[in-house]
Amino acid sequence: MQTIGDEPVYEVFARRVEGEPLRHVGSVAASGDALARVYARSIYDEESWLEMYVVPRRAIIAVDDVRDEAVDAHA
Amino acid sequence: MSTPFPKGTGSQYAPASPRAGGTSRRDAPASLMDRPSALPEGCVAPLVDLVTALADNKHALGLRYAEWCSSGPTIEAGVAATAMAQDELGHARVLYGLLEELPGSPRRSEHEWSAADARTVAFVERGFSDWPHLIVANLMLDRVLAAVLETALDSRYLPLRQRARKIIEEERYHAIHGQSWLVQLAAEGPGVRAELAAALRDVWSDALCWFGPGDGGALGALVDAGVLTAAGDAVRRRFLAQLAPVLTAAGVPAPLKAAGEHWELAEPLPWDRWDERARRVRR
Repeated sequence: MQTIGDEPVYEVFARRVEGEPLRHVGSVAASGDALARVYARSIYDEESWLEMYVVPRRAIIAVDDVRDEAVDAHA
Repeated sequence: MSTPFPKGTGSQYAPASPRAGGTSRRDAPASLMDRPSALPEGCVAPLVDLVTALADNKHALGLRYAEWCSSGPTIEAGVAATAMAQDELGHARVLYGLLEELPGSPRRSEHEWSAADARTVAFVERGFSDWPHLIVANLMLDRVLAAVLETALDSRYLPLRQRARKIIEEERYHAIHGQSWLVQLAAEGPGVRAELAAALRDVWSDALCWFGPGDGGALGALVDAGVLTAAGDAVRRRFLAQLAPVLTAAGVPAPLKAAGEHWELAEPLPWDRWDERARRVRR
């Protein structure tokens, strides 16, 4: 259980139309998956997304060690 | 789990129904009513009362949510409150549009809306002094109004049915918001749980009376005519079946008792003070 203001970050990915690549549209901080979905939907509502996903940032793994520092800088 | 966002167009959130969809009227049975004049005589007044109270409460709830746009516990929470405010105000506008077609409706206009003659329940009139109060309104009032509108998803009265479909699609996210936040707040400790329990007691009678007495009371005529598919105890039981596990998970006490497969109220509701027309408990 995180305290408010210290919640995990979720990256938000969405697709506008069929066949278009899924793209990164932003991030939200939420206490859990359910609220992350609600927040992503209300914050990134500038498009009528065909589909949208939230991914816990901790689940995103850097492929190249050299990039670790740059990835951490986002955390 | 996939999370598609069919804003405005999607219908996969609507329950499967052989006569779903407002555009393919060819398939609709002849018994559907597509205009107010098709409503049975005794249905107009209770429908006007119900839609007025639904819209007034949604309008007031939207204004209350909006008060938290820039003061939620996190930026995300504030934006979510803003989105819910927009949804509720939009639902109210759509339902006021329904009233315009019905004879004998009270006058309502977006610009002249006043709380003075609004048929709103006390909890929303008083406002939300803190975030736990907003969450209890989200969990109870917002969900109760949605549960009543769910009984119009297969309404024989098309203007209501079409509006209910759009509204219910958005309400899904209000439900996730309220339930998730209740559990999160309750985990903060006994102090917050006591505050949530007090707010719950405050809203309890108004929220649970909203479905109407046993057979639905004034809503019974609407059920008989197929304008609604259920009212009263049947809808209340369905609502409690969704609410009780959330309250149990959160550890927030409420006057409920398990009775076999379903949940029952541990205390009777104040039906002697229930105002069937304004749909609120007299105070």
